[in-house]
Amino acid sequence: MKKKLTLFAAVALSLGATAASAGAVDELLQQYQTQGAGDFSAERGKQRWHEDHPDPEQPGKVRNCSSCHTNDFKAIGKHAKTGEEIDPLAPSVNKERLTDKKFIEKWLKRNCKWVIDRECTPQEKGDYLVFLRDQ
Amino acid sequence: MKTTDNSDRSAIIVWDLPTRVFHWLLVVGFALALITSDDSRYLYAHVYGGYLFAGLLAFRFIWGAVGSRYAKFRSFAYDWPSVTAYLKGLINGQASRYIGHNPAGSWAIFAMLLLGLLVVITGLVVLGGEERHGPLNGLISFKVGKGTKEIHELLAWSMFGLVVLHLCGVILESVFHKENLIWAMITGRKEAAAGTPGAAGHHLLGVTLLFVGAASALSYFHGYLVETADSPYRPFRGPQLPDNAVWREACGECHLAYHPNLLPARSWQLMMDEQAEHFGDDLGLDEETVKEVTDFLVKNAAEAGMTEAAWEMMESIGPDEKPLSIVETKYWKHEHKEISDAYWKSEKVRAKGNCAACHLDAKEGTFEDSSMRLPDLSKSERKP
Repeated sequence: MKKKLTLFAAVALSLGATAASAGAVDELLQQYQTQGAGDFSAERGKQRWHEDHPDPEQPGKVRNCSSCHTNDFKAIGKHAKTGEEIDPLAPSVNKERLTDKKFIEKWLKRNCKWVIDRECTPQEKGDYLVFLRDQ
Repeated sequence: MKTTDNSDRSAIIVWDLPTRVFHWLLVVGFALALITSDDSRYLYAHVYGGYLFAGLLAFRFIWGAVGSRYAKFRSFAYDWPSVTAYLKGLINGQASRYIGHNPAGSWAIFAMLLLGLLVVITGLVVLGGEERHGPLNGLISFKVGKGTKEIHELLAWSMFGLVVLHLCGVILESVFHKENLIWAMITGRKEAAAGTPGAAGHHLLGVTLLFVGAASALSYFHGYLVETADSPYRPFRGPQLPDNAVWREACGECHLAYHPNLLPARSWQLMMDEQAEHFGDDLGLDEETVKEVTDFLVKNAAEAGMTEAAWEMMESIGPDEKPLSIVETKYWKHEHKEISDAYWKSEKVRAKGNCAACHLDAKEGTFEDSSMRLPDLSKSERKP
């Protein structure tokens, strides 16, 4: 009886641990795949991150992700228009990063529209996330 | 108290110490209030000048009843014929010399005391109504407060006119009777015929008055002495305005969460209806968030009249106007017209919407006059 209980506890514990490590990013990646995305690539995410797009408000200038986040993921970013400070993107220095699904989705939508002037596809969003979570 | 006899004179005390301290502190209070009246950033100091002035007046009214010989109001209560006789004498070169105030001077003194009282009263009305501070806070409407401001200014400038007149009189009489009346107000002493009764000095009271004046300044301004760069002193705290965590997060992620009291409800409604095109960006807020934020904005909009800025904003916007940008409103532009381009372009300010760069209470939304500090610009930024 006692042995059984211990086993049960061990299983429950390991299940709980898996759920926690899966986290918001994995759940979103799964969700994106059900929406038609294939395998995700950090390399593609990195490329997209550095891609320049014409700035519709300032002809001749470009927008990209680092317009606000800078190219140092561990540094504090700055809103391109208002100058408001942005917490570092790298989960290694900012524990709260990539932990809230709703927050991630809101900002991916808002920022994709700002940088590339359309919403990102599930494939693009997933590529960004796998690139960013290693930072 | 006339003297015409020039022989056998000796110096007697005419102005006791409390009267002299009163006189010079009154000069300080009035000058301070006058110098700081032009720029609302200095409102806190202006109000101190007024309080000092008011306290001194109160003292003088009491001292006029119970003070020493020449300080008593009764000792210089001359009728109008004495004034005209004195002035005629001045013109003819035969004006009598008075130990205390002369008749013309005494009328100026009474007029200044009365006018000073009115300046204080109207000042308190403006402070309570327009600025929502001081003893009359909550008792006076914005409209009455603002309307009284012009009267307050008119009275104060009339007071200034009387001060100039008083100074002219002092100089004229000093020259005419060859005695330095300004010096007499410092030492308290004047030459008088032997046997002329002097006044008691009341030194202890005078020193106490001086001490109370200094202590009041120290306690009023002591916040500036203990402030640090990280927590600058904020005199005049505004009322605690309504807050909402969802609003603060939704709006505050990209820019200062502008408090709802800065725009009318119809503007906020329109802004939230158009959240997909928010100054060129799609906010993409979910329905639940939109509802909570909109409710909070509309409920606490400028119409609620919680601050001076809210009231002024409503006054300056036409009934059909729905401004979306605070910095494009007439009121905002009027209030910021003296801020030079160097500030807007500086690294510390960057954008007109960055209220918190100068307004220490921008986050709270109270925008108190005395909570404004222009940032120090670096040398390169100061160049035009």
